Amino acid sequence: MILFQWIGIPLLALLALVTVAAAVRRQLTWSAAVAWTLLWTAAAAAIAVPDATMSLAHLLGIDRGADLVFYCAILAMFAGFFVVFVRFRRMEQQLTRIVRQLALRDASDSAPRGSDPPQRP
Amino acid sequence: MNRERVFIVMPAYNEARVIGRVVREVRERYPDVIVVDDGSLDETARQARESGAIVARHVLNRGQGAALQTGLALGLERGADVIVTFDSDGQHRVEDIPALIAPIAAGAADVALGSRFQGAAAEVPPLRRLMLRCATRFTRLVSGADVTDAHNGIRAFSRRAALAIEITMDRMAHASELIDQIRRKRLRFVEVPVTIRYTEYSRAKGQGAAGAVRILLDYLLGRLLG
Repeated sequence: MILFQWIGIPLLALLALVTVAAAVRRQLTWSAAVAWTLLWTAAAAAIAVPDATMSLAHLLGIDRGADLVFYCAILAMFAGFFVVFVRFRRMEQQLTRIVRQLALRDASDSAPRGSDPPQRP
Repeated sequence: MNRERVFIVMPAYNEARVIGRVVREVRERYPDVIVVDDGSLDETARQARESGAIVARHVLNRGQGAALQTGLALGLERGADVIVTFDSDGQHRVEDIPALIAPIAAGAADVALGSRFQGAAAEVPPLRRLMLRCATRFTRLVSGADVTDAHNGIRAFSRRAALAIEITMDRMAHASELIDQIRRKRLRFVEVPVTIRYTEYSRAKGQGAAGAVRILLDYLLGRLLG
């Protein structure tokens, strides 16, 4: 076993543990936890058996296993950007709706609702 | 003849210098003015209120499209029969409003769009003319609506049209979105010639070429993502 395997595999095992713990504490849905755990497992497998990524790469017509991992990482990153971008847009729209509701509620010539007139001491 | 209740809606962002004068000028003929202060950092809201406008204030700046939608909602809430949108920087003329209201009051159209390129349009600065032409081409292409000036803030809506339209593009791309919605919701529209007063102030607040590209990207992303 090479040094990187000694470092990488325990690290990924730890990540998997943290993921499961998060799911148990309901900070993460179970489906998300399963997806992340699968990702950690795949990464650990690629580190443990480097030849496996090589044969998979050859199967896909890519020369080296490392290239395959690199391409996958780039693709995953772009997919991640896209998901975050879509969520960000949705959040902006929700923010606008809140701002609009406040503006309509407090429009100047109507008394602000939900607040009593100030009391004299 | 029973007169329609007309509301004038003005989105405003940092217009404290001119908004008071614009509101007073409009109110001489149309007393119901709604100013949507889009999170201005200056005295826009106070100036507008002191000039007699109903002021709705966005606590955060959300963009002109968002402000217009707020104005439409408030106008409807206050019982408007016709809602006219009007820029707060003084570039539009009050004299043009009756011609926009007329086709709606007569029931001939649901929406009247002001066009600076129709009839007796005043001199538009050359670069601005080129950019607006391109923008209009684009809007015509994507919406299929036959308009001559897509990015003009002076428009009139019937109550029915204001209820049907929902602007979701918060920033400047709402102008193209609006034309798009008019088409898809099968609202009848007419174009009415109007004159734009190109003052130094309003020109400085208009869009540069970079702004135009940003608007285009905004529109395309909005269409793709809904």
